[in-house]
Amino acid sequence: MQVEISRRKFLQGSVALSIVGGTAVSTTSLLSGEQEEHHTLPENITTKTGTGKAENIPFLCGICVNKCAGFARVENGVITKLNPNPYFPKSRNMLCPRGNAGIQTTYDPDRLKYPLIRIGERGDGKYKRVSWDEAYEAILNGTDKFKGIKHILDEEKDNRATIGYCNGEGLSKEGFEVLVGEKIGSPNYVDEISICLETTLGAYVNTIGTYGEADLNNADYLIIAGANRAEAIITPDTMDMFKRTQRRGLKTIVLDPRFTNTAAKADRWYAVNPGTDLAFVLALTYVVMNEALYDKDFVTKHGVGFEEYKNHILSHKYTPEWAEKITNIPAKEIYKTAREFMAAEHPIYYQGRRSVFSKNDFQLRRAMAIFQALSGNLDKKGGIIYGQKLALPKEEVNSPMYAQVKDRFDKDGIAIPAQKTGSWIVFRNMVLEGKAPYPIRAMFMRKHNPLAGVPNTAKTVEFLKKMDLNVMIDILPSDTAMYADVILPEASYLERTSPVASYGFLEPAIVQRRAAIKPLFETKVPEQIYKELAEKLSKPLWEITKKYDEDVQDDLKGKSKEEEEKYYKANGFDLADAWEKPVEEANKERVAKAFGEKAWKTLEEKGVFYPEMEKYHKQLNPNEFQYYPDNKKYYTTRKDALKVVFNFKNLTKKGVDAMPTWYDKWNFSVPDGQFRLVTGRHAQFTQSGTTNNMMLRDLIPTNYIWINSRVASQRGIKFGDVVEVKSSVGKITIKAYPTEKIAPNQIFMLHGFGGSSEKMEMAYGNGGNDAAIIEDKIEPVYGAAVMHETNVEIRKV
Amino acid sequence: MARYGMALDYKNCINCRACEVACKEENGVELGAEKHRIWVGSNNPDGEWPNLSLSSAVFLPSQCQHCEEAPCQEVCPTNATYYNDDGIVLVDSDKCILCTYCMNACPYDARYVDERTMTVDKCTFCSDTRLARGETTTACQATCPTKVRTFGDLDDPNSEISQLLENREHFSLKAHLGTKPKLFYLR
Repeated sequence: MQVEISRRKFLQGSVALSIVGGTAVSTTSLLSGEQEEHHTLPENITTKTGTGKAENIPFLCGICVNKCAGFARVENGVITKLNPNPYFPKSRNMLCPRGNAGIQTTYDPDRLKYPLIRIGERGDGKYKRVSWDEAYEAILNGTDKFKGIKHILDEEKDNRATIGYCNGEGLSKEGFEVLVGEKIGSPNYVDEISICLETTLGAYVNTIGTYGEADLNNADYLIIAGANRAEAIITPDTMDMFKRTQRRGLKTIVLDPRFTNTAAKADRWYAVNPGTDLAFVLALTYVVMNEALYDKDFVTKHGVGFEEYKNHILSHKYTPEWAEKITNIPAKEIYKTAREFMAAEHPIYYQGRRSVFSKNDFQLRRAMAIFQALSGNLDKKGGIIYGQKLALPKEEVNSPMYAQVKDRFDKDGIAIPAQKTGSWIVFRNMVLEGKAPYPIRAMFMRKHNPLAGVPNTAKTVEFLKKMDLNVMIDILPSDTAMYADVILPEASYLERTSPVASYGFLEPAIVQRRAAIKPLFETKVPEQIYKELAEKLSKPLWEITKKYDEDVQDDLKGKSKEEEEKYYKANGFDLADAWEKPVEEANKERVAKAFGEKAWKTLEEKGVFYPEMEKYHKQLNPNEFQYYPDNKKYYTTRKDALKVVFNFKNLTKKGVDAMPTWYDKWNFSVPDGQFRLVTGRHAQFTQSGTTNNMMLRDLIPTNYIWINSRVASQRGIKFGDVVEVKSSVGKITIKAYPTEKIAPNQIFMLHGFGGSSEKMEMAYGNGGNDAAIIEDKIEPVYGAAVMHETNVEIRKV
Repeated sequence: MARYGMALDYKNCINCRACEVACKEENGVELGAEKHRIWVGSNNPDGEWPNLSLSSAVFLPSQCQHCEEAPCQEVCPTNATYYNDDGIVLVDSDKCILCTYCMNACPYDARYVDERTMTVDKCTFCSDTRLARGETTTACQATCPTKVRTFGDLDDPNSEISQLLENREHFSLKAHLGTKPKLFYLR
């Protein structure tokens, strides 16, 4: 007999039943065990799959940014297992630990289940359950605790820029951008890009015309620096790479301040000083230029300013001996690596893919892209490829024009401000410091947790407290959600069909996420929320526009009521018109239009479609599949159009160096008694979004601070001891993990832990939040957050 | 009737533990850090920073070895541990009295106590889930990002596993004990 704790009991027995206030909510918390008829919940936390009838619904994983494909096994309305999808070339028939544990996100007892309105103070977690209409109504008109958007826009005379908004990565992000950006009309958007890989994308696109895809199936030499593919899994890179490391075809050189699982697979590991990779690449380049090891035909044909760059490198004397002192990598190793790289047939300096390390990050990525180009191994098999993408018809949005809306302002200290996505740190800090030319009064937020992601959590809290209205759409009651006035519960990715997506490069495909089950509790799919909220706001905000917008007033002069209604619709002021069709219908239309009805059928059934799929796709062995035959893969697509910008003269107009240059101020140093803080990811967690996942918590119970074991022993710090880690902006407590895998003057911690929301039982107070101690510094090109320039003190507590 | 075994291309393993989660979800394994049928053994590299020995840091996926001469089966006083027709070592939880002799006898530490049933539990090669439905892979094999595992019939000379063992060097864990494990690690 099984005596498993039933899920129902688990829900009721949960400790955090702390919602107080309104009469109807005395026991109705975020965690309530109440269930509606149509909700089928699993009996146990882990549910053994059965041998009877089951459906297999193709889904696209949403637990991180990769979008791997799978099939959800659904038995009696319960998702019992997630299996890999063998049709998708990008994820190559696999699901990682997080992908497998996605079930536990859908069935997380702490999930947001109903719309909530704040009845306490911001941050104290006191909410009351309301209906969807009451929630929308509160966003429009406010309550006695906070103002509504109508009131705010009236006071701000229809300046839509006073509404800020943010959204993390995902397939429904674009819809949110349409809602708040295009339709409501705010230019003040911040997303994950300025706390992520903005410099890498920008530098690669500006240097070789693409970020590209590394063909690790065919490369024979790999330098992978500051990227940790064994632990920060990226598809298909991770799967391709580690089948060929350890003297099986892909010689691998790893640069990382700490010894990662990727380093464990390498031929050589260099413990580079944080923030000094640029000196390493410049020295590699020096060797290649000095010894004329580059692909002469290639740089002559495709290069812009090659000779200038060569002179630049040689005249600055970026020798390996020079770089040794800066990087902690022996000169002879740099010579060897440069020569091996250029001697290899298919060498790749991996582009990397993570947050910005240091203030020189843009120039680092430029130098890397250039170094790759020196080998000539671009746009070909085994190199960085440009590939192909299958085009889907674009969905037109009828965007209204607002005369009163002001421009975005977050440009302080930034050379090339990103028009659409801005800079989180600069935006937040300018608002806080009173430097914004007009007030930001509301934040509309979705699937984004800046309290855990944006450096200097204390400032983010202060920023959110300053708002008149905060709205959050999310799945879990995150740290940031606890500062929202209205919380709208979203269906998890296994409960919704998402807008169809196209993934390009070597083996392009169209993919669709189909809902495996109906949304649980009262949650709704994001597109439905956008539509309903738009319907609620549309007319009242239109009245405000009519009151203040002189262009609209001019246009409406002498118009009848009917004509006005016509104008309202024709000019996009009907905010809900972007969601006239449900997602499923829109998907079907777009796919059928581009590839025909049969393609749609394939997509519905298999979750994946690409032309000639029936012919190309075949199983090679129990584990591997062919997606495209080798001669049909898009190895070479750019050809003569390929251009490599060595000397980017226009950058100087923006005050940015035209060619990567080292400055001594970037030399690595840490004051005595302090440590440089390095952060990173792990295969079992996706930042703060998965720290409440019960299954993953079994794998990594908490995050630790890695400290060199000899230093730890001098300080009397043993494994598991609680230490306080303090920077200039905050302090955290966290358990210690003494190890030789890190330098004596550096410490490392996993990102994403240390949750402050009491509504997430597993995540709350568990470990440390790195964002609370990382100083809010930016790099000067895009204003992206630099993550590895904070020194900290440690003390045993 | 088959003689099931598994070949592990263990150098592919990146210690991501997707296999462990897939196993738990597929087979309804009890939640808890100590409750797992499969795991990845790992060790810290030898040496002092920055002189660490890369080759000393190894990830070794492991689980019940489904021995042909299984010590767990020999010591079980109630015959709860038995071989099924396909050579898979299983536990009949109705017969298990939780004497834990088998846990002590297993040289691979492959068994744990399921506190829901208060009996001993272990890897079943997905015989009562996936294999029972006619599938040909285990959950751990199917999900693996770097495709470490190949499950199959050792008696079928044409099976992928037989071919791999025919053509690749391999070793077994604690082979000197004479347990005749049916997990094979490919060099």
